Amino acid sequence: PCSSRADIISTVEFNHTGELLATGDKGGRVVIFQREQESKNQVHRRGEYNVYSTFQSHEPEFDYLKSLEIEEKINKIRWLPQQNAAYFLLSTNDKTVKLWKVSERDKRPEGYNLKDEEGRLRDPATITTLRVPVLRPMDLMVEATPRRVFANAHTYHINSISVNSDYETYMSADDLRINLWNFEITNQSFNIVDIKPANMEELTEVITAAEFHPHHCNTFVYSSSKGTIRLCDMRASALCDRHTKFFEEPEDPSNRSFFSEIISSISDVKFSHSGRYIMTRDYLTVKVWDLNMENRPIETYQVHDYLRSKLCSLYENDCIFDKFECVWNGSDSVIMTGSYNNFFRMFDRNTKRDVTLEASRENSKPRAILKPRKVCVGGKRRKDEISVDSLDFSKKILHTAWHPSENIIAVAATNNLYIFQDKVN
Amino acid sequence: MLGKGGKRKFDEHEDGLEGKIVSPCDGPSKVSYTLQRQTIFNISLMKLYNHRPLTEPSLQKTVLINNMLRRIQEELKQEGSLRPMFTPSSQPTTEPSDSYREGPPAFSHLAPPSSHPCDLGSTTPLEACLTPASLLEDDDDTFCTSQAMQPTAPTKLSPPTLSPEKDSFSSALDEIEELCPTSTSTEAAAAATDSVKGTSSEAGAQKPDGPQESRTDDSKLMDSLPGNFEITTSTGFLTDLTLDDILFADIDTSMYDFDPCTSSSGTASKMAPVSADDLLKTLAPYSSQPVAPSQPFKMDLTELDHIMEASYQLSRAVRN
Repeated sequence: PCSSRADIISTVEFNHTGELLATGDKGGRVVIFQREQESKNQVHRRGEYNVYSTFQSHEPEFDYLKSLEIEEKINKIRWLPQQNAAYFLLSTNDKTVKLWKVSERDKRPEGYNLKDEEGRLRDPATITTLRVPVLRPMDLMVEATPRRVFANAHTYHINSISVNSDYETYMSADDLRINLWNFEITNQSFNIVDIKPANMEELTEVITAAEFHPHHCNTFVYSSSKGTIRLCDMRASALCDRHTKFFEEPEDPSNRSFFSEIISSISDVKFSHSGRYIMTRDYLTVKVWDLNMENRPIETYQVHDYLRSKLCSLYENDCIFDKFECVWNGSDSVIMTGSYNNFFRMFDRNTKRDVTLEASRENSKPRAILKPRKVCVGGKRRKDEISVDSLDFSKKILHTAWHPSENIIAVAATNNLYIFQDKVN
Repeated sequence: MLGKGGKRKFDEHEDGLEGKIVSPCDGPSKVSYTLQRQTIFNISLMKLYNHRPLTEPSLQKTVLINNMLRRIQEELKQEGSLRPMFTPSSQPTTEPSDSYREGPPAFSHLAPPSSHPCDLGSTTPLEACLTPASLLEDDDDTFCTSQAMQPTAPTKLSPPTLSPEKDSFSSALDEIEELCPTSTSTEAAAAATDSVKGTSSEAGAQKPDGPQESRTDDSKLMDSLPGNFEITTSTGFLTDLTLDDILFADIDTSMYDFDPCTSSSGTASKMAPVSADDLLKTLAPYSSQPVAPSQPFKMDLTELDHIMEASYQLSRAVRN
C-alpha cells in the first residue's frame, strides 16, 4: 500500500533566501535542492532546482519501555538564517530534534609531512624535509553533519518546531507540551506550555501546532484540536499556561454536526511575514486572523466545502484526520493549501479570487501551464470538471511551500515533489 | 440532514414528553439521526480498538474519537435512553501512567448537541446495525425501514446484566453444535457457559422468539452450510472471517476480570461482554433468508458480519 512507502514526502521548506529547498520523507531522509544560478546564456532556464545534498537524518528507533516503534518520519524541517558559508537546519521526527550543518567542500589539503597522499603514515626515517600543506581544488562535495541532537524531552509526538527571531532559541511542541531550547544546550530545555491534565482521563484537547512570532522573540502562538489559538508572551511568566490572547470563532449553529469538533481541529498555524496576521487551517477551511481581534477571523476561505456532506465517510476512512498545512506568499497577499486528488488551492486575499490546480504527471509537462481545475458539486458535470465521488482521497497534498520572495511554489504529492513557477513572459 | 444540525421532532406518542422544539423534518429524519449516531458510535469504537499499531497511536486522534464517544453518550443519557452505553475502556497501551485513559465522563464543558430529548422510548435499539457510513449519506429512506423492522434487535454492546436467559443461550448453543459438531465446540460452549454464570438473566423482552424461529430454519441452515460458513462482507473496512474463528477460538474471559490498570469507575459494564454468549445470541436468529418485516429478530448477513467483526476486534483488543 502506498502509505508504507519510505519516500513519501512529509515536509517541505524553503530557506530564508529561497536558494535552498528541503524535503523530509517518511524514511527519515532529507533531500535539499539548490536553485541554479541564473545564467545569461540560458535565459529559459530560470533557475531550476537540482539536488544539492541528501542525508539520513533520523533512523527508526524502538522504545523498549512501551514496546513501540518510534518512526523515523521527518515531521518538520526549519531552516536557520544563514550566518556563514554553511547552512543550518532543524529536522525532527516524533521524539528527537536534530541540528544539521550542510557545508561545501571544494578544496582539500595536500602535502602533509607525516602522511602520504593516500593517508598512510610515512616512515619517519624517510622524511628529510618539511613542507607546508597547500589547499588544492577538488570536486565540490556537500556534506551534512549532525551538530546537535535534542533528545528525550518529549513524551508525546512532536508536531512543530519553530526558530525564534533571536536566532538563539527555538521551540518544539508535542501534543501536550511546548519546550524552549537554546541551540547550544542539548541536555536541557525549558517547558513553556503544559496542558497535560493531572488526570489523563480528563484530557479533551491537545496542541496541534505552534510557531514563534517572526519579529517579537517573546511571542508565540499554539493551536488546539478544538479550533482555538492561544497567543502567549514569555515575558509574562516562565510557564505560559495562561495565554495573553485567545482566538476562537463561535460555532455556526446551522453547520453543527457530530463532526463539528473534529473538523474544527486546527492542523496548521502560520504567522504572516508581517507578523500582523495568523493563518489557520482546519479540515474544510483556511482562516486569517488579525492579532488584534480574538473573537473571529477576518477572512475565511472554503477549501473543499463539498466534503461537508461526506464527513461520515471521511471519518470512517480516517481522512478527516488528515493534517493539511497552509502557507503565505512572500507579500502575504496570497495563501495556499492542499486538498485531495492532488489538488491544491490558492486564495488571493486582495482580489478574493481563488484557483484550484492539480499536481500530477499526466497534467503537467515541463514548462506547461497549469490548467485550473474545478470540482462539480452535483447536477450536471461539465466536460473538464471532476465530480466529488471521483476524487481520489489517497492523493492528498498536505505539504506545500512558497518561495520567500518570488512566485515559486513547491508542492509535495505523496512521493513526488513539484516545483511550479510563474510563467516566463 | 445531519450536517445541517436539523432539529429533531419528538414522537408525539410518547408519554411524559412535553412539547419541545418541533423539527421541520419528519419521522424518517429523526430515525436516521439515531441511526447515524449509532453508526458513528460504532465506528468510533472500532477505531479505538481496531488495530494495534506498531507505533504509538496519535494522541490527537484518540482524543477526538473519545470526545465523539462521550458526546454521543451524554446525548443518550440526556434522552433518557433505557440502556446505558458502556464507557469504552482505555486504549491498549503499555504505559499505565501516561497513556490516555477513558474514564468517567468529564462533561464539564461539553454542551450536548441538542437540548431537547428525542425519546424514542423502549423501542429504540441502541445497537442498530453497522451500516457503512457511505450509505448514510446517500439515501435516507432505507433507514426507516430497517429501523422499523428491528425495534428490539439484540444489543451488541449490552452490559453483562443484559445477557440472555439461560434457556435461549443453551438452545442457541445447541443449534451451533448441530451446525458445527466439533470437539472444541463443547469446550468453547462450556467456557462460555462458565463465563455467563452468575450474570443475571435479562428480562426476556429482547428476543424471546429468536431461538424458536431459527429452529424451524435449521434445515435451511444446514443446506446453506457447506463451504459457505465463511462470512463475507460488502463493506470496505470489514475483513473476511469465518464463524469458526470466533465461536471456537479460546474464549477469553479476561474481560470479566477487573483490571486495576484500566478505568477507575469499576463497574462491570466497563468492557463490552462480546463473548460467545453475545455472538450466539445474535446467531440464534441466523438465517440466510432476507429479513421480513414480520420477523423483527432476523438479521441479514451483512448486519451479522458487522457485529461479529466488531466483537472479534474488541476481543482481540482485550487480549492485547
